[in-house]
Amino acid sequence: MAACIEIEQLSRSFDTAKRGTHLALSEISMAVEEGQFVAIVGPSGCGKSTLLYVVGGFVAPTTGRVRVVGKEVDGPGPDRGPVFQEFALFPWKTVLGNVSYGLIQRGVARREALARARALIELVHLDGYENFYPKELSGGMKQRVAIARTLAYGPRILLMDEPFGALDALTRTRLQNELLEIWERDRKTVMFVTHSVDEAVFLSDRVFVMSRSPGRIKCVIEIALPRPRRRTELLVNRRYQDYVVSIEREMDDPAEDIATHGG
Amino acid sequence: MTAARARLIDVAAGTAPLALIVTLWFALATFGLAPAALLPAPQTVLLRLCALLADAQFLSQCAVTLFRLFAGFALAAVLGITIGIAAAGSRAVGTALTPLVRVLAPLPKIALYPAFVLTLGFEHASKIALVVCDAVFPILLATYQGAMAVEPKLVWSARAAGVSHARCLFSVVLRAALPTVLTGCRISLIIACIVVFLAEMITSTDGLGHVLVRAARNFQTVDMFVPIIVISLLGLLLNAGFNMLRGRLLIGYPEES
Amino acid sequence: MAGDMQARIPSPPTSDLSGFGQLKATSLGKPRFARSEARALAARSLAPIPGLAPLLACLALLLAWDVAARLVAIDSLPSPWSVLNELPKLLSDREVLLNILDSLRRMATGFALAVLFSIPLGLSMGRSRLVAASCNPLMMVIYPVPKAALMPIIMLWLGVGEAAKILVIFLGVSLPVIYHSYQGARAVEEKMLWSAAAMGMEARTRLMRVVLPAALPEIMVGARTGLVLALITMVTSEMIARQSGIGNVLFNALDMAQYQPVYAAIVVIGMIGLLLDVAFEKLRGKLVSWAEPAFPIIAGST
Repeated sequence: MAACIEIEQLSRSFDTAKRGTHLALSEISMAVEEGQFVAIVGPSGCGKSTLLYVVGGFVAPTTGRVRVVGKEVDGPGPDRGPVFQEFALFPWKTVLGNVSYGLIQRGVARREALARARALIELVHLDGYENFYPKELSGGMKQRVAIARTLAYGPRILLMDEPFGALDALTRTRLQNELLEIWERDRKTVMFVTHSVDEAVFLSDRVFVMSRSPGRIKCVIEIALPRPRRRTELLVNRRYQDYVVSIEREMDDPAEDIATHGG
Repeated sequence: MTAARARLIDVAAGTAPLALIVTLWFALATFGLAPAALLPAPQTVLLRLCALLADAQFLSQCAVTLFRLFAGFALAAVLGITIGIAAAGSRAVGTALTPLVRVLAPLPKIALYPAFVLTLGFEHASKIALVVCDAVFPILLATYQGAMAVEPKLVWSARAAGVSHARCLFSVVLRAALPTVLTGCRISLIIACIVVFLAEMITSTDGLGHVLVRAARNFQTVDMFVPIIVISLLGLLLNAGFNMLRGRLLIGYPEES
Repeated sequence: MAGDMQARIPSPPTSDLSGFGQLKATSLGKPRFARSEARALAARSLAPIPGLAPLLACLALLLAWDVAARLVAIDSLPSPWSVLNELPKLLSDREVLLNILDSLRRMATGFALAVLFSIPLGLSMGRSRLVAASCNPLMMVIYPVPKAALMPIIMLWLGVGEAAKILVIFLGVSLPVIYHSYQGARAVEEKMLWSAAAMGMEARTRLMRVVLPAALPEIMVGARTGLVLALITMVTSEMIARQSGIGNVLFNALDMAQYQPVYAAIVVIGMIGLLLDVAFEKLRGKLVSWAEPAFPIIAGST
């Protein structure tokens, strides 16, 4: 049976104004099974966000291909829902307007769309804020709206690009827990990009570690921690700590520095 | 210094030069330092202004000017916004249009006016055509620049929700670029004001510009001041009205610096 | 390595990841993958040939004119080729050349006077709240009035000579230059001025030696707008009050129903506009190359 997401020999290069062609991703091959929550970690600039954008169909691969449930990716679509670090909410729409956007665009009747939107707004604990504009919300609230907006059109896959990176530590942990709660409900396939190793280990089933630019997959680590996961329990769990330490060690490999920058 | 006091000083400082000029004008006229034929007294001008604003014929001339102004502006807005969005949304269109705009923008479009008169006649069409030519560029440029500056992730979010590329251009890109587009519109509105008045002065058949030229030909100095004051007031009114409209349209958008 | 990717033309504030600023156009367009990449590469390879694109644009416009003339088929819209034929005849006429020189001379005088007056005024407005507060309302009242419309009144006062036309051009150019000098001066960083004051510079010297150079990019934008307006005001005032100048030449031909010279005169005015623009851009490049604008500033966006 085909995996949910299959990436074959993916490379992506960019033409920059001054420094010629820059290779962001180099021959990435990986597969994600249906219902898995995978995390992608790596140092800044390694191309992990680019990888996500290629899967989402927002950026074209230079070579290689991406298949979702057997079909080659040819552009964005409602089967792959993004959640961005900058929230990317429509500032001219209220919370309700943002969340119901996808539904209304797809032709769902207005009353039905609004009802479904309200249910989602309640799911992300924002009931009462339906008529607020994004600029009146805090960062954490905005991200909740963004998540609700993406969930509204029922994507099979969630592509999350450092979604909690712009939030303070307290809000971040709260939203991590909420995300897992929501995920437990229907177990979508999730690709979660982050540079925080403990966030990756806490949330995911597998962690892909990327190398420095040009990005390639260095290693994959299976996270065999039971679900549902409680942050307070895990923080003192020995295996959790081992995972975090070993991944950080992978990321911080001095030998690699020499390899990329020349001895 | 408290905020209230500072504002008071601002208002005082703002009205002072205007008050000074009016006073000077009054003094020059009253003390006969300038002949009435060259510089009528401010009260005479004011009275004449009020009289004309109640005169049906004068108002019909104003209406003619306003009609051309708004018709030209509306056309320019539709053209400018459509072309600007198309150029931003399609690389081919953008590349093809950029050199055209670069060549056309610095040309004084008023020079084309005689050609319009020759081909379109002396009535509304030639003046509206001129207004469109002059007013389209600020809107086009503002729309293009605004659209190119839109955060791509907004578009990506909409596309992922299943919205087609073409629909995105108008429901997301145009909406997101609206503040910039409206700024371009405001500039265009003022330009339209100026251009229609000038066109009416150059080939004089009707409209406010014609009123001015006719008064000049008949040496009616007072009547020469009135159209100028009216066009200035019109510009201020349009500016204020536009700002109000802008406030309503941009609810929810983050404030600009 | 990450730092490298941030160094490019300043883009609007997006969280710029790995060169996406470059790809903004693609990301708005449908990701028709391999084809759009190839097309982009082709477009970029044509770009280095300077002047090719505007030349093609002019050609396209001439062709469009030709098509329109054929379709409409009236005497008063001659074909572009007959007009281009007329150009040398027009330009070799001594009368016409004198008129053109008159126009340019008036423009230059009006422009120079306006710049000399407006820049210091704008700069002081930028640094002194009181000056700004007193000048702004006055400017707002004058702004919507087309300066060329003041021609009849000014002619009444100053007669039909040069002074009237130069005054009108002066007025037309002053407003944008004052405004932009004002904005430029306002934006000058306080810290630069504090350092200068600490070094013992007086207020007036600071204005000239620190504020002026710092505000120069913005002033140049204002000057360019002023140049455009100078040309427009000059042409318009000559069309309204015809004594001499290229506007006068145009209307003489119009009165005598000689269509080719009318269009030829239009082309001449257009060429003057283009040449002035190009020359000004070169000057601007030399003077303020250290400050790159965020977006290419295209004249006509007054």
